[in-house]
Amino acid sequence: MGILFYIVKRLLALVPVIIGVTLLVFIISHAIPGDPARMMAGQKASAQAVEHIRRSLGLDRPLPVQYVSYLGDLLRGHLGFSIRNQRPVIADLRDFFPATLELTLASMLLCVSVGLVLGIVSAIRRNRLSDHIIRIFSVVGVSTPVFWLGLMLLVLFYRNLGWLPGSGRIDISLSPPAHVTGLYVIDALLEGSWDKLRDVLAHLILPAFCLSSVYLAVITRIVRSSMIEVLGQDYVTTARANGLSEMRVVMKHAFKNSLIPTVTITGLSIGELLGGAVLTETIFAWPGMGKYVVDSIDFLDFPAIMGFTLLIALVYMLINLCVDVVYAFLNPQIRY
Amino acid sequence: MKRSALIFLVAALAVVLGTATPLPAAGRDVLVVGVSSDIHTLDPAVSSDNYDWRQIYPSYDRLVKYKVINGRGSTEVEPMAAESWTVSGDDTVWTFRIRKGIRFDDGTPLDARAVKFAFERTLKIGKGPADNIGAIQKVEAVDGHTVRITLKNAYGPFLQTLATDAASIVNPAVMQHAKNGDLAQGWLATHTDGSGPFKVVQWMRGQRCVLAAKSDYWGGVPRIKKAIIRFMRESADRRMALERGDIDIAEGILIDQIPALEKNPAIKVLKFPSQLVEYVYLNNQKPALKDPRVRQALNYAVDYDGIIKHVLQSNGIQMRGPVPLGMWGHKEDVFQYKRNVRKAKALLKAAGFAKGLKLTLIYSERRASWEQIATILQSNFADIGVTLKLELMSNPTLRDKVDRGDFELCLGAWSPDFADPFMFMNFWFDSKLWGLPGNRSFYRNPEVDRLIRKAARLSDQQKRIQLYSQAQDIIMQDAPYIFLYQVNTIVPMRKNVKGYVYNPMLESMYNFESIYKE
Repeated sequence: MGILFYIVKRLLALVPVIIGVTLLVFIISHAIPGDPARMMAGQKASAQAVEHIRRSLGLDRPLPVQYVSYLGDLLRGHLGFSIRNQRPVIADLRDFFPATLELTLASMLLCVSVGLVLGIVSAIRRNRLSDHIIRIFSVVGVSTPVFWLGLMLLVLFYRNLGWLPGSGRIDISLSPPAHVTGLYVIDALLEGSWDKLRDVLAHLILPAFCLSSVYLAVITRIVRSSMIEVLGQDYVTTARANGLSEMRVVMKHAFKNSLIPTVTITGLSIGELLGGAVLTETIFAWPGMGKYVVDSIDFLDFPAIMGFTLLIALVYMLINLCVDVVYAFLNPQIRY
Repeated sequence: MKRSALIFLVAALAVVLGTATPLPAAGRDVLVVGVSSDIHTLDPAVSSDNYDWRQIYPSYDRLVKYKVINGRGSTEVEPMAAESWTVSGDDTVWTFRIRKGIRFDDGTPLDARAVKFAFERTLKIGKGPADNIGAIQKVEAVDGHTVRITLKNAYGPFLQTLATDAASIVNPAVMQHAKNGDLAQGWLATHTDGSGPFKVVQWMRGQRCVLAAKSDYWGGVPRIKKAIIRFMRESADRRMALERGDIDIAEGILIDQIPALEKNPAIKVLKFPSQLVEYVYLNNQKPALKDPRVRQALNYAVDYDGIIKHVLQSNGIQMRGPVPLGMWGHKEDVFQYKRNVRKAKALLKAAGFAKGLKLTLIYSERRASWEQIATILQSNFADIGVTLKLELMSNPTLRDKVDRGDFELCLGAWSPDFADPFMFMNFWFDSKLWGLPGNRSFYRNPEVDRLIRKAARLSDQQKRIQLYSQAQDIIMQDAPYIFLYQVNTIVPMRKNVKGYVYNPMLESMYNFESIYKE
């Protein structure tokens, strides 16, 4: 009951935060010098054409009026109309968000699964050869520029070896699976189309690996250090003294207790990857939100910028809430 | 149980990876073009963007089209949906006879009523494209296949404007999709409804756009069945896809990657002189730049040949006058500035800046070469005692500053919308067009205004050339801009792609109707 009350309380707290975010982004985006009506009309357009567009977009109204009108639309579930794409922002987000979400989830799956294994191995074989190799791998992962890594992956696996497809989400000879979730892997499974599933997974491998490189290294290092700390605790020594096998000591007693920092960093990583996959999306022509928002900023497409920021803020807050709830499951001492 | 699940997962992944080799490239009747930018809208009455026109242009017919002469695109026009036309003695009333037998997809004929609808719709919507045909006062359907267009006043470039994307003839039946008085803008943003050789059948945002050829096109059936435009933002990505044969044409490959492509035996790299020019706006209203001698000095300071050789890797030529080579009205013998440091210093001294002066250049990252060019200009100007401060800013901010005249020097690019020197001479120098629309140097010379405005009202090409020629001589002495270069358009493609015709007026657009693969 306590935890349910806590979740409801946190969800209610989202409302003022969302309003704050809209106000902040509205002020900042309108402080940028530039005229979206001019951007849309084209630079050679006459002053009359620009004025006509400004009026039709409602940009001639005072800023407070525009903001209140935006909030009114938001209450009715409208995120506004994209100036650049000439259609509702929500339709744009529906197109682009699933691609980013799919890429993020795939790379997080990679980060967490591989990162946990490497971190644990590194901790229990501390200062041995395998630990050194993993630590070098982590340093290289953190310090390799994503842009360079992406290009090298493409050169090797696509251009030279031809093992994996280059860019995009699905081959041009295939139509995308019927839209259910927008996540092609899930939709291909639901459609029962193995050809598409294979192609979609193959397209996911390189960008997911590229995107995961930094956080894979971070998670490996965090798991290693927290495992080392836990393995030195008295209760682990007691477990060993009781004659439990090393595997059981590590997995049952040490691992679970070392997970809290990992969960924290994983939650933050998902939020960051959702909002910051621009480089990976650019290199692999991945039709996600990163490119969408960069183009929107370049075009001064205020409604699109606002819609993106709102969505990311919301996702961030929900992830943080999930992380807090998971803490309680991992550590019975935490109560809400 | 857990172990068996893990084994199953690993085995499944192995199967996927083991069979995940890329699918073969498209067949001979499918042309795949890799481009850098997605589409924003497909409505010809709304878009002012060549990247949109790439899909819109082949989907519609227009009254006239650009002529292909000896396999090369030209800036002259010839009949398309109009089979003939006449013009009144005062050049204000144009009467077009519409070709019979042209039909839209739903079977309705393209007639005078459709032309009237399309032009009036564009003008009523009033967005960027309306400016291109803004000379029109009224359009009348005289009979089923005769349309009469009355202009507000005589306008020399009128016929040329009818070959632009803005003059695309839209099926009046689109009005069944109109909502809340939007003249079907919402629907046409994502659909095409014209009588052109292709139509858009699929648009997956951020991924691809598919155009299907029409098997009954009146002008001849295209040799390819489908054109697929793949949106691939990164130049290296497009290059690799071209090398592997996954795309047939790669647009916008960075210049430094071209030499490697030229060595590939499966690829041909075509180069064409374009009408895209790059230049520096000198704000004539700023105190330091009011004196033409200062502007001339800056023109003399620039190492044009060095920039073209090293930055463009010789893929361009120095501009001679404001009208580029290849456009009628280009003046072969007009004065051209060359680097002359001694003369530049003398001019600065005569203008009272013997001790030098400080100026600021603004630029954006819109073009990859601008960072380098800005640095070279800084170094060139330092040679004559001018300290140039460089300010990099976002494109919208830069545009805003240019529009308001809040700058001293600015790097810019320009390409014409229609094949007429009007696009350069009147846009760049008419003092009524100060700011972003055209006269970005805030230049004013009453004599130049008189000459170019007179030229704009005439339809006699020889008389217009004469007037523009006189204006160009004055302009080169006034030096309101630094004319840098006109760039080559580079189009790398697979060697089996044939029939490609480059037209400098249709930058980023492809003649899908006549391209084929061997």
